[in-house]
Amino acid sequence: MKHNRKFAQNCRRFTLAVIWVFSSTCIVGDETRVLRIGSPGDPQTLDPHRYTLNLEEHILKDMFLGLTAMDAKGSIVPGSAKSWQTSSDGLTWTFHLRENYWSDGTPVRAEDFVFSLRRLLAPETAAPLAFFLYVLENARDVNSGVKQPSELGVSAPDDATLVMQLEKPFPYLPERLFYPTGFPLPAHVVKEYGRDWVKPENWVSNGAYQLADWKPQQAVALTKNPHFFDHEHVAIDRVEYVPVADSLASFHRYLADELDIIGDFPAGELESLRKSHAEHVHLSPLLSTMYLVFNVSTSQFTDARVREALALAIDRQKLTQHILRSGEIPNASIVPPIVEGYSSLIETEGANLEQSRALLKEAGFGKENPLKLTLRYVTGAENKRVYVAIAAMWQELGVDVTLHHAELKVHFSDLGAGEFEVAQAGWFGEGNPEHYIELLWSKIGGINYGRYESADFDRLLEEAKNTVDSIERASILQQAEALALRDFPVVPLYSVTIRSLVNPRISGWYPNPRNSHAVRYMSLN
Amino acid sequence: MKRLWHDKSLFLASVTLICVVLLVLVGPLLAPWSYEVVDWNAVNAPPSADHWFGTDGAGRDLFARTLVGGQVSLGIAILATCVSFAIGVPWGAIAGYVGGRTDQLMMRVVDGMYSVPFILVVILLVVLVGRNAYLLFVGIGAVSWLDISRIVRGQTLVVRTGQFVQAARGLGASRPWIVWRHILPNVVGIAFVYATLTIPGVIIAESFISFLGLGIQEPQTSWGVLVSDGTKEMHSSPWQLAFPAAFLVITLVCVNVIGDKFRDAITVSSIRR
Amino acid sequence: MSIYVFKRAAFTLVTFVVVVSATFFLLRIAPGGPFDSERQLPPEVEANLLAAYHLDEPLYLQYLRYMGNLVRFDLGPSIKQHDFTVSELIAAGLPVSLCLGALALLIALTTGVAIGSFAAFRHNSWLDRCLSATTTLGLALPPIVTGPLLVLLFAVSLRWLPAGGLDSYLSFVLPSVALALPLAAAIAKLVRGACIEVMDQPHVTTAKAKGISNVRLAFHHVLPAGMIPILSFLGPASAALLVGSLVIEEVFALPGLGRYFVQGALNRDYTLVMGGVVVYALLILILNFVVDLVYVRLDPRIRIEDQAAAS
Repeated sequence: MKHNRKFAQNCRRFTLAVIWVFSSTCIVGDETRVLRIGSPGDPQTLDPHRYTLNLEEHILKDMFLGLTAMDAKGSIVPGSAKSWQTSSDGLTWTFHLRENYWSDGTPVRAEDFVFSLRRLLAPETAAPLAFFLYVLENARDVNSGVKQPSELGVSAPDDATLVMQLEKPFPYLPERLFYPTGFPLPAHVVKEYGRDWVKPENWVSNGAYQLADWKPQQAVALTKNPHFFDHEHVAIDRVEYVPVADSLASFHRYLADELDIIGDFPAGELESLRKSHAEHVHLSPLLSTMYLVFNVSTSQFTDARVREALALAIDRQKLTQHILRSGEIPNASIVPPIVEGYSSLIETEGANLEQSRALLKEAGFGKENPLKLTLRYVTGAENKRVYVAIAAMWQELGVDVTLHHAELKVHFSDLGAGEFEVAQAGWFGEGNPEHYIELLWSKIGGINYGRYESADFDRLLEEAKNTVDSIERASILQQAEALALRDFPVVPLYSVTIRSLVNPRISGWYPNPRNSHAVRYMSLN
Repeated sequence: MKRLWHDKSLFLASVTLICVVLLVLVGPLLAPWSYEVVDWNAVNAPPSADHWFGTDGAGRDLFARTLVGGQVSLGIAILATCVSFAIGVPWGAIAGYVGGRTDQLMMRVVDGMYSVPFILVVILLVVLVGRNAYLLFVGIGAVSWLDISRIVRGQTLVVRTGQFVQAARGLGASRPWIVWRHILPNVVGIAFVYATLTIPGVIIAESFISFLGLGIQEPQTSWGVLVSDGTKEMHSSPWQLAFPAAFLVITLVCVNVIGDKFRDAITVSSIRR
Repeated sequence: MSIYVFKRAAFTLVTFVVVVSATFFLLRIAPGGPFDSERQLPPEVEANLLAAYHLDEPLYLQYLRYMGNLVRFDLGPSIKQHDFTVSELIAAGLPVSLCLGALALLIALTTGVAIGSFAAFRHNSWLDRCLSATTTLGLALPPIVTGPLLVLLFAVSLRWLPAGGLDSYLSFVLPSVALALPLAAAIAKLVRGACIEVMDQPHVTTAKAKGISNVRLAFHHVLPAGMIPILSFLGPASAALLVGSLVIEEVFALPGLGRYFVQGALNRDYTLVMGGVVVYALLILILNFVVDLVYVRLDPRIRIEDQAAAS
């Protein structure tokens, strides 16, 4: 009986959808100010604990207000917490919450934060990014089911105070907390509806917007949240995130005025757009690093001289100026140059083919015995150009390069399994150097794709991790990075540039290195 | 059959196709640039005396790449067609000659496979063996033999009642021998024509696979890869789309015309017989 | 007759089960899993995820679970689209695909028949040659080129129609035209051939000799006969539309079922891909089943042939 009902329900949904298809015309009147943003795909979920994608992060940040938030230019500002203090050992953080309401009018309490953090780390939630908050005391054990969620290092002494207990000092906590994994969830709603709390009809959030509607592959629509603490300053009434996976399709839709903002367009269009749409085009460097990683356990690359030779043969300037052509920043440090409070000891220089040839010769490779390798990269038009060019640079040394591309899933599953020789990798996200340098840590797990191991480096990194003072911490990290890169386990290449088109009617949109553009700061003229 | 030689459009199509094939085979040897060399001074350059078709986004000569892409596109199309031929002809011939339950069962398999949409299989194949383009197209060939087997079966039913088959049977020839010596030679012609008609389908499927960014590995290329890369730059560098697309479309037109004409000729002659 | 129907039904069911099972196991052999990404997951997290979707069980158990749920019309939750069940996604996507397909079929039939019959009536004129050349070209244009070109012309330059997505009825126009193009060309060819053949037949020449008008000749004598090959072409044509719609939906960012299928396959969303295969296979199998029955009703010879083949 139950199943028949389910079937009938599906039939009904189907009929509704058919009716909808035939009746959908422009519903939104002229009165409401609507912003349509091109998104590189459909969200896979809007549950902040289950999210994995960047595009989901953007949508969620419009709907939730975490303890910390970002202003229009991507700097960290207070969010749900109006202020916070750290204990002298850097282990206890106390947050004071501002008066703040859910979109159904109930107040946001510290208990909501405790509830969400416990839910995030509970194994049943299966949160893919739970490890973002492994910095919390007992977090790892809770996540693997060894300890109870109640043992997590977070507590609410009263409705307006939240206390977090860390395992190790982590000065970057305010930055870590503005990811959706740190958002508060409406405990009363999640308890009532379970998994279905994310449906538009049940949706409750505490940010500038709330979920109005989600038609898969078509649009996620948000409307203004009347209970948002700063709602008088929110100018746009409705936001629609429209999934457009193909960059040409999204470009066409922008040109046809169907989208107001797009975050990507074909690179070749840049020059002509600068003439025809000068006020629309924005280029901004992203906190990111693209690099090549050597599998140090493969026979060719156990010898550091070979890795060095290949690194020296790459002319990053040529790559960014001739091939990428969108103002990417060539970078030999694994930490993006735009990270504040850190200056790498590694200098970015041009190619040095002579030295490179000499090193290869020393390592025993030459005309009769050429170095053979397979270079792997992720499928995509832009990647293809970059890795074809790198292969060409290596071929000049007489290296026999085979190119191999695979879809993202396959590429990273191969890398994780160590099935590669040298491969493309990339890392995006935070504005702290550790986030990038720890990619070379032998204890970080799978993301140290090349399985690089250096006891000296590990010791320095762990020392940094136990240092509270951020300036001292940065200087230890500097040494650690320089030490590791002397072994050439990776070849950092460049920092990515985001190419956006923004309709000049919109004000309050600023290019920034986190590519964070909260709609609450924007307005339409 | 003789009338065919007087058909102007067939003549034109054949000549054009031969020219394209010759150009694709010989051209890369004559081209001033190799298809995999990066010309750092002419990245994304429009057609010029140096690069006749311009260059692509990585500075490689598009003339050479279009021709090499043609080798690959035609190669995989022929590969897939051969595979479909190799499966479809024996399958149809055996079903048609043996008849009875065997025939019924074999044709039920064909019916069943007809109910699986071609492109679903292609996408599943991409997921499965996407890392090896040639294997992928062997796979595509292995699912596109259905038409051929039906045609061959029909033709076999006609041929097996012919006098020479009866005579061979009377002389005590074995079944495999009859199929091999008498049935196959008589059905190969018509099967071949139908096989030709699978070539355009494979080339178009390849272009879609390339559109999804899968398939062929660099520095190898194909028309599908070039065309789908070209569409992405169609405003700023139209030559990257125009030349490969022209080659692809011209070839498909020729193959379609030739296939159609031969099919018509064969159907007419078999009806008259 | 009823035995025949029963046999066909049984065959349809067996085919369906074979197709679904084969897809199930093939998907699992494919490299890469649903949870691979550039952010490698810690083992604790991955274990939690696999357990949540029963992916940690032995494969045969997963298979039995899937088939069991399928019998109850439960296609399970989507592995990558966490907030929807596969049935919900299909309910959202299928109407779009069906609309697209129906529109394209309509366009293809009307233009195909019009062009084909027109060419036949002006047999061997320059107009006929032009139309034939156009149809041949229509068959040779890959949709990945026609799609963006149509958008560039009608949406970006002329601004007559939407460039993509699904905001109003108008959004269906360009995709269905692009989808109909090769089909219209194929139909035009068929109709032209059939009409020319009919026009040579005695009853038509007699009618002509009697001096009836050209219009009457066309609509009463030639077209009805010229349409016959189209009827038998409709089965494969609908399948071709399904095939084409996968490509077109991707090119035009139309939120149809084909798009889910392609994205699902690339994301290794096992349940979503399975759902797509189930729906597509069911659609086509039922279509074929119905067509078979209609044929038997119309043409008793098939039954006899079938019996002859069985004997």
